[in-house]
Amino acid sequence: MRRSKLALVSAVALAALLAGCTGGAAPGAESSAGATKNTLTLAMSADITGWDPSNQPGYQGWGPEAIWDSLIKCDAFGKPEADIADKWTVSADGKSFTAHIREGQKFSDGTPVDSAAVAASFQYLTSHGGSQGDYKGLKTDAPDAQNITLTWPEAQPMIINRVCNPKITTKALLDSGKVNDKPVGSGPYVLDETATTRGSVYTFTKNESHWNTAAYPYKKLVLKVIESETARVSALKTGQVDGSLITAASYNEVEASGLNVVTMQGQTTRLLLTDHLGKEVPALGSLKVRQAINMVFDRDAMVKNLYQGHGKPAYQIFRPGSDAYIDGMADPYPFDVTKAKALMAEAGYASGFDLSLPTMAGQNHETLMPYVTQQLGLLGIKVKQVPLSGANAIDDLLSGTYPVVLWQLGNFGQSLLDIDIVVRSTGYWNLEHQPDATVDGLWKKILTGDEATRKTAQQDINKYVIEQAWFAPMVNPDGFYAHSPDVKIDHVSDHEALTPKLRDFK
Amino acid sequence: MMLTLLKNLARSLAVLLVVTFATFTLMFGNGDGIARAVLGLNARPEDVQREVVTLGLDQPLLVQYWHWLRDAVTGDLGESFYTGQSVTEALSSRVPVTLALVIITLLLTVVLSVLLGVTAAVKGGWVDRLLQFVTVLGTAIPSFIIAIVLVFTFAIAWRVLPATGYVTPEISVSGWAKSVTLPVLALLVGAVASAAAQFRTAVLDTLGRDYIRTLRARGISERHVIFRHVLRNSAGPGLTVLSLTTLGLLGGAVFVEQVFALPGMGQLANQSAQVNDVPMVMGTVLVTIVIVLVVNFLGDLATTVLNPKARIR
Repeated sequence: MRRSKLALVSAVALAALLAGCTGGAAPGAESSAGATKNTLTLAMSADITGWDPSNQPGYQGWGPEAIWDSLIKCDAFGKPEADIADKWTVSADGKSFTAHIREGQKFSDGTPVDSAAVAASFQYLTSHGGSQGDYKGLKTDAPDAQNITLTWPEAQPMIINRVCNPKITTKALLDSGKVNDKPVGSGPYVLDETATTRGSVYTFTKNESHWNTAAYPYKKLVLKVIESETARVSALKTGQVDGSLITAASYNEVEASGLNVVTMQGQTTRLLLTDHLGKEVPALGSLKVRQAINMVFDRDAMVKNLYQGHGKPAYQIFRPGSDAYIDGMADPYPFDVTKAKALMAEAGYASGFDLSLPTMAGQNHETLMPYVTQQLGLLGIKVKQVPLSGANAIDDLLSGTYPVVLWQLGNFGQSLLDIDIVVRSTGYWNLEHQPDATVDGLWKKILTGDEATRKTAQQDINKYVIEQAWFAPMVNPDGFYAHSPDVKIDHVSDHEALTPKLRDFK
Repeated sequence: MMLTLLKNLARSLAVLLVVTFATFTLMFGNGDGIARAVLGLNARPEDVQREVVTLGLDQPLLVQYWHWLRDAVTGDLGESFYTGQSVTEALSSRVPVTLALVIITLLLTVVLSVLLGVTAAVKGGWVDRLLQFVTVLGTAIPSFIIAIVLVFTFAIAWRVLPATGYVTPEISVSGWAKSVTLPVLALLVGAVASAAAQFRTAVLDTLGRDYIRTLRARGISERHVIFRHVLRNSAGPGLTVLSLTTLGLLGGAVFVEQVFALPGMGQLANQSAQVNDVPMVMGTVLVTIVIVLVVNFLGDLATTVLNPKARIR
């Protein structure tokens, strides 16, 4: 009798747990856009980085996009679009941006969106966050509530980018110092704190008084933090989420499940050969050595075999369609190991040299590094892989300790950003920061020239770094965004081409 | 008995200090990297250095640890370096998720493993061999395989349970039950298999004792012998097994929370450790140690109550 009671207890316990298994709607139905078109539920592979407006990365930035407007927005190629401002001009000297703020907009706390708020939001960036250098010395002049002029001490070739990034919030919130407690913005959605658990689920309701409500068709936005790709794919397949980033590893499974996939090419796998003067590795000071390195990679085979066809061979570091990109350029360094060896011999490095290449998680190094090591080995270049991990890994990487790095580095729709970050001696991805008169001269043209001159100068920089073999571009790998067929994504506005923007979900 | 308890308490405090200091030491020395990660790659070196100071990461190890310990004693565990969220607030929403998983799994483990262990030991023969095979299989299959099979079967193929996510009981009790069912099952298989094998051994050991033979010789019913004498005398080793199982479940929860995207402590620890979010890591470590110590303390207490010989130590 007692034994049967024990068994009964076990059965009841399991039954209680499984009680919810039967009946009712399918899981996630209430939050599935596919079911009602009222709610858009997106998975995020990482949590939102709090509510400080100065610390909002664009990658998977749907939460910040929902809450905050910007003075203007940037399109996929960094061109300006209206947002809080409905009209704007850039001064001829490239130092000032004057905007007219559309009337009748309000923040989520009910206060008006005016020039004082815009000025405070920009001034906040001069002393907070990681972009303080971009706003150093910024002056704001607000003659009235609807007009404002932002003026930098020097010409800003990327002034549009500087203006479209900052999130606009209230002066009162910034002055309070409690920016992380509760966000205040005038964006298309408002955070629903009662249905939000930080680190897990963020719920937003539509701001019906937003100036551009038509661009955001969903009444509710739910963001779920799901780190594991396996879990994200499961959530997609079961309708718990309407969209998620995936990798090539899940591509076939997702497609076979009847889900749609948007392909983006926001990265270029490349070797950065930054010791142009040969100070750290003397051989790299030789142009012939850098050109030889470019010739030992069979880019077509890399796409086919290392990326399973999910990518395109890359001969330039810039994004196709960007100002610096040169259309129709043939492969400047076709795959030719014999010629590469001859160049090495001519440079006096027939027997090669030693090279340390750092490796890090998340860079596809486990796939790429064996091939790169093997191909460089054909030139006698002996690669020593140095694993970097932990909090200091990025600092180590950028420290200049490693003059050559294999990286899937982003390329921007606005190629000036690539030039600023990767090519110029001050750029943090120009690891050795070695000065170069040609690049500096072309950058001066960018600073002072008109639009046509700037575009020509950017293409000249592109030609120059190709001729000088500062990089060994290999592949533009595909990035994937999977989504329910009920959600339409016809266009990706992200100038980093890494994720669709919130306004792209229709 | 009181002396034993006081000794245990003192030992627990020492463990707490040693482990938290060791964790702090492991994360020490990454100030620049943390500050750059907080600010982004674009940050100027001077801004990075300012952030290092703002976060207090420029201080010597002992000073940083002392500040953390002093604040922790007052209940202030600080704020996340990255999100600014209060560690206490983060833990208050995440600890219940993990504890729910562990406690439900533990209760089911007790019931099922005792049932299986006793049945295998008492019945013997093919029942014993079958249950041994099943327990070995349950122990051998990694829980992530079990989790994937469960998700595929119940969430994707049959669509009766959610693949991911957590619903609090305040919002919906049935939703909560649905959201924890698969994670609990994923944890349960290994826990039951392991504990059942241990219980079987303990029961077999007890069954072979002279006093059991004597009880049987006196004509006392087998059911009385099993439930009154064998189970009671096997409880000591069983408690040790359950204590270890609880600790194992805490570790297993880290993985299960990842697979099922549950906002628990394991997920928080994993996220925080990846980016060296020191306050969050220390908060999760502290809570985990306290749970471990409480479990050990309760285990010792129960053993002391059940076994008078244990009080002499």
